[in-house]
Amino acid sequence: MTSPFEELLASLIRHRGVLGCMVVGESDGIIVDANVQVGIQANLVAALAAALYRKARLSSEAAGLTSVNFLQLEAERGQICAAGRDGLVIVTVAEPRAQIGLIRGAMLQSVEALA
Amino acid sequence: MSDPIRRLSEELARDPSSLVFLQLGEALRRSGQLDLAYKVAVRGLERHAHNADAHDLLARIYVDRDELQSAFDEWDMVLRLAPAHVGARKGMGYILFKQGKLGAAEEQLSTAASQDNGDPSITTALRMVRRLLRYAPNRDNGATALGPAELAAAQLRVEEEARLLFADILRDGEHTAMLLNTDGMVTAGVYLTSDGRDVAQEVGAQLSGVRDEAARVVRHLDLGAWKAIVYETDVATVALGPALDDSLVLVAAARSIPLGFVRRVLERCVQRATAWLGEVG
Repeated sequence: MTSPFEELLASLIRHRGVLGCMVVGESDGIIVDANVQVGIQANLVAALAAALYRKARLSSEAAGLTSVNFLQLEAERGQICAAGRDGLVIVTVAEPRAQIGLIRGAMLQSVEALA
Repeated sequence: MSDPIRRLSEELARDPSSLVFLQLGEALRRSGQLDLAYKVAVRGLERHAHNADAHDLLARIYVDRDELQSAFDEWDMVLRLAPAHVGARKGMGYILFKQGKLGAAEEQLSTAASQDNGDPSITTALRMVRRLLRYAPNRDNGATALGPAELAAAQLRVEEEARLLFADILRDGEHTAMLLNTDGMVTAGVYLTSDGRDVAQEVGAQLSGVRDEAARVVRHLDLGAWKAIVYETDVATVALGPALDDSLVLVAAARSIPLGFVRRVLERCVQRATAWLGEVG
C-alpha cells in the first residue's frame, strides 16, 4: 500500500543535510509515515518533535499569537524543523550545515498536502 | 484539616518527641494556618532547642506574620547552630533588603550564593541587590540603611534600566524583546501590544515552557546545547535564545520582518542580556 505522504517525504529527504523526515500525529507523536537514514531513532524524534511543536502551538495561542506554522530548533549538533496542520506535523531532522531556508520553503509547501 | 496535615498531626500525637513537627509546621505555614504553625514550631523547639531546621521553620513563620526582626533573630540562631545553612543566609538577606540595608544584604546573599550556586533565586536576588546598590545613596559601602523613599527610588531606577535593556537594539521597529529568568518571569525588556500595553509577564509565562520542551529534545536526541528556537505564526515570528544561568531571551517581531533579521536581533539581544546579567553576577 502506498502512503499519500511518500512523495512529500521523498522530496524533503533529497535536500542537502536532511537526515530524516516524517509525518507525525501532533497529539500522540506517533509516526504516520517516515523516510529516515539509518541510525536515526525515528520513533523518538517523532515523539519529541511533536511534543515540542504542540507546546509551541499551545503557548503561542495562549499568548495571543495564533497558531504556529513553522518551527525550527537549532542545536550544536543538529536541527529539528516542524510544520503542522490539522493535527499532523511534518518533522525534519537535519545536520547543522543544512540549508534551512530551502527546507523551510519545501516544508511550508508540503504542509498543504496534510489537509 | 487536609489529609497530610491530619496524618502528620496524628503522627506527632503518637510520638511528641518526633521531628515530624518540622513537616507539620511547614504544612500548616504553607496552608496559611500561621497561628497553629507557630504553636507547633515553638512546642517542637521546647524539645529540640538546638535543631537548626526548627529555628529556620520558626523564622519563616515570622516572615509570613510580617515580624521581620524576630525572623532575623531566629535565622541568626540558625547560623550559630549551622554556619553553612544557606536558607538562613538567604532569609537574612531578604530581611536586610526589606530594611534597606543593602550592603549587609549583599554580604549575606553573596555568602549564600558561594555555598549554593545552583539556586537561581539566590542569584536573582543578589543581582537585584547589587543593581540597587549602584543607584543607592551611600553606595560606597552600603553600610547605611536606606529609607523607604530612597529604596523605592533606587528600585524605580533599576526597573527602568531593565525595561530599557534592549531599547537601542530594537529602536522603533515592529519587534520587541524581553529576558525571562528560569521560572519564566520577566527580568528585563517589555512586550508591547499594538495598543501600547505591556503584556510581557503574560506572554513570558506562556512561552517559556517551550524552552523546557526544547531542552528535553536536545537531551534525548544528543544534539548538544540548543542555540535558538524560532517559530512563525500568522501574526508574528518568535525567536528564543539561551542566556546566562538558564535565562531566556525572547524576541517577537511582526511577520513582515524577514526571518534572518529577527535572528540577528536575537543574537544581539542574547549578547546584551548575557553581559547585563554578568556585570553584577
